[in-house]
This record gives sequence, structure tokens and C-alpha cells, in this order.
Amino acid sequence: MLRFYVEVARTAFRRQLIYRWANLAGLLTNIFFGIIFSYVIIALFHARPSVAGFDVRDTLRYTWLVQAMVMIVMTFGWYDLMLTIRSGAVISDLSKPCDFYWYWFSREFGRNIYYLIYRGLPTYVAGMLLFSFGAPGDWRNWLAFLLSLTLGASVGIAYRVLYNAVAFWFLEARAIGLLFVVIALFFTGSYVPIPFFPRWALAIIQWLPFNALINVPIQILLGKIPENALLFELGRQMLWVIIMTLIIRIVIAAAARRVVVQGG
Amino acid sequence: MVENIVNDLQLYKHFLGMLFRSQAQYKVNVVVDICASFAVTSLEFVAVLIYFGQIPSMLGWNVGEVAMLYAIMSIGFGLAEMFGAGIDAFSDTIRLGEFDRILLRPVGSFMQVLGSDFRLRRLGRITQGGMTFVIALRLLPGLHWTAAKVVALLIGIASGSVMFMCVLVLGATLCFWTVETTELINILSYGGRDMLSYPLTIYHRLMQRFFLFVIPLAFGSFVPACYLLGKPLPFGLPGEIVFAAPLLALAFAMVSRVIWQFGVRHYQSTGS
Repeated sequence: MLRFYVEVARTAFRRQLIYRWANLAGLLTNIFFGIIFSYVIIALFHARPSVAGFDVRDTLRYTWLVQAMVMIVMTFGWYDLMLTIRSGAVISDLSKPCDFYWYWFSREFGRNIYYLIYRGLPTYVAGMLLFSFGAPGDWRNWLAFLLSLTLGASVGIAYRVLYNAVAFWFLEARAIGLLFVVIALFFTGSYVPIPFFPRWALAIIQWLPFNALINVPIQILLGKIPENALLFELGRQMLWVIIMTLIIRIVIAAAARRVVVQGG
Repeated sequence: MVENIVNDLQLYKHFLGMLFRSQAQYKVNVVVDICASFAVTSLEFVAVLIYFGQIPSMLGWNVGEVAMLYAIMSIGFGLAEMFGAGIDAFSDTIRLGEFDRILLRPVGSFMQVLGSDFRLRRLGRITQGGMTFVIALRLLPGLHWTAAKVVALLIGIASGSVMFMCVLVLGATLCFWTVETTELINILSYGGRDMLSYPLTIYHRLMQRFFLFVIPLAFGSFVPACYLLGKPLPFGLPGEIVFAAPLLALAFAMVSRVIWQFGVRHYQSTGS
């Protein structure tokens, strides 16, 4: 069965390869937004050399890592599942002789790998060339980052499937979907790096599932998490993977019981 | 000429009435959508407040001044999004082959595209802009208002929204050749919006020149904000230049119109 899921992921990866021009346009968009935020950060850091242990270079790296990771972890405007629910095609996916959630998980995982290679890496490299902030060097941080990114991406997939599954109850749920995405992006540091938040907010944010998406992997890569706290942070991410997966499975089971397909 | 414009406007009014009535049928949906849009755009502004919680000023602009700039941008962009929704959705019109049908009708194609959608839910961003404006006024108690400043504010917002709609038209025109790269225009629309929500002077001089002299979107936010706040403009431009904003918007609209018509002439229908 595992081989089947690997094959699903590979197919999703290959399908994504076709949209070369769309990816290039998206890449340029990511880079442009990276440039805007970089100038905002540089202007702000004129007034103060560092905020919460982040200097201007750390913050630039943080911002460009967000731009590089956002398509991997929290895709904007992903309504693929919602559209199959609306068209009724979801029923053929539900009746496939495989697990519905792992099927979508594999598809999305394949896409994530595509975006890591063709969107994430070029985005970061572009920022590095434009603003010469370099890359973090410690290979142990890179290893931990890759693990943490995988966990974050898994939480992201569960979250994505969850807000799409709202369509089992409300057919037109795109506005709700957008709200879901924006809240997640806000609380994972895509609008403002998480360390910039006021202290009382940090205490709450670090226990939200969103923190696992982008903020934790980046902080690990930037070496901002002390070694003795690293396992704890990875464990907390793992916990969210498990909780979110359980929630989405319950939701899908509930939806599958009530789904009615119209037409013949 | 005048008769044509009157006819078009009457037709547009008719379209708006239809779209408004059809959206008003789904009251719960519209209210949920407006609230969601309000929440989304408010979070964007909260991000600005968080930055300023840590750092008091941005190259001479304090939080109240940036809030004022942000409010002008939100209202202008929100209006453009609301009235320009049909242009924004043009890639779908092309992909579904709908444009062939539009060309067959005995009225101008642009008016039909413009009138094909109007999104009430964009009221969310406009409301956020209005609230941000009130916040900015509270943060800037020393701001002295004159009649000229009120005029500058109003024409700034109006010109800004017209220019953003022109950007949407340029993006739509691209769809006559390909619908795959529609995201490119997001650089100018969403990117321009995000960029111009902060003082223009923080960016590279090339970017400043581009948004002042090539695609003059800065006249819809930064230039009026500078006039209200009594701040100097870059490149030694006089503050009163804000009153040229409607002319620039008009010129941009004419250029967009020519480009759009060029696109229509080159349209070869979809393959399927």
C-alpha cells in the first residue's frame, strides 16, 4: 500500500511540472513580496539595532524563508478538494480502495516536494543575491530544519484538507477558507516574524498549531532555539501532526456518512 | 461620443442593479463574506501595529502617519476591487469561452466585462480602511485640516482606485495571449498595494521612480498622504502635485484603453 501512496505523490509531483510558466510567475511574485518586506525591515531597523535578539540580517533571512516556505506549507487559494465536493467527483475518491485522507496527503506531499525544489530554493537564493544576507551554515541546524519542515508541512496538509472539508456542509466556503489561511499565516510569522509579537501574545502563540507551520522550522534553521529545547519543539510539532490528523479523520468520517451525491 | 458614454453608464447602472439584487438573495453568505474579508484585512493592519510596537518610527514616519497612508490605500484599493471584480475575473471569462459571446453583443466589450461582476464582500476592506482612518485621526491629534486637504484626500482615493482598476485591465489584457501567467499582474496589484501601504521613500530609488512616473500608483496613496501630513515628496516634487492625480489617472486609463483594444483585436478565441 505504501508503494501506491508513493506513486500518488510522484504523479502529483509530475503533474505540477507541467505548469512551468505559472510557476515562474508565482516565483516572481514571491520575490517581489520578499523585496517589499525587506525594504520595510531595513527601514524599521534604522531606528533600533535589534528586536528580541533578531538583528536586521536575521530578520531578512526570516522573511525570505517565509516567502520560500509559504507555498510549501500553506498554499494560498488551494480549493482542489472543495471543488471535488462541489462537483460530486469526491465520491469517486471516497470509494477508491485506499484511505481517503492518505490519498490526499500523498498528493499534497508530492506537490510540497515540487514547491520545495522549484519555488522555495530559487526564492531564497534570489533574496540572498539581492540583499546578500547569506545562509545559515550549521549542518546540524539544516538537518533539524528538514525534519521540522516535514512536520510543519504535514500539519499544513491536515489544515488545508480541514478547511476544504467545510464544503461538505457549506458548498461555497472560499471566503471561510481564505480566513482560515490568513489566520494561520498571521500566527506563524508570515506577516510579522513571531519574535516581534508582544510577550503576552508569544505565550499563547507558541501553543497554537500554527506555530508549527513556519515559525518553528525557521527558528531552528536560524539557530535561535537552544539545543536543549530542540527536542521539545520537534515533539510539540509532532503532537500537532497527530492531533490534526485525528481531527481531520473524524471530520471526514462524519462527512462521508452524510454525503449525498445528486444526479445519476 | 457623449451619447455613447451616457448609454454605457445607463447599461452599467443596470448591470450593477442586477448584480446587487442577485447577491442580496444570499444574505447570510454576503454577511459572512464581508466579515471574513474585514477580518482578513484587519489582520494585515494589526501586523503594522505589531511592528510599531517594537520600533517607534520608520525613517521619520510614526505609527499614526503610516496608519493614515494605510487607510487611504485600503479605501482606494477596496473600491477598485469592488468595482473591478469583473475585470479581475477575466481569465475565467476567457477560459470558459464566454468572451466570444460578449463580442457578439451590440455593446462595447469593455463595459460588459466591467459590468459582469461587482463584489459586495469587498466592503470588508473598505470598512477596514475607514476604521484605520479613524484610528489614524486619533493617533494624529495635531493634524490640521483645510478644505484643500479634504479635496486632496478625496481625489487621491478616487484616482488611486481608477489606477488600480487600470492595472487590473492590463492584467486582463494579458489573458488574450495566455491565462497561465495571470499571477504576474498580482505583482502590480497586490504587490503595489502592499508596497504603497508604507512610505514610498523606504524603497530603492528605481522603485520610487517607477511608481511615481511610469505606473503612477503612488498618486493614489503616498502623494496625497504627504500633502495631508505636510511631508516632502522625493525628487523635489512640490506637494501640490497631488492635484494632478486625476489627470494622471485619466492618462493611465486612456493608455490602458488602447492596450485593451489592441488585445481585443488580437483575440483568437480559445481552442476547445
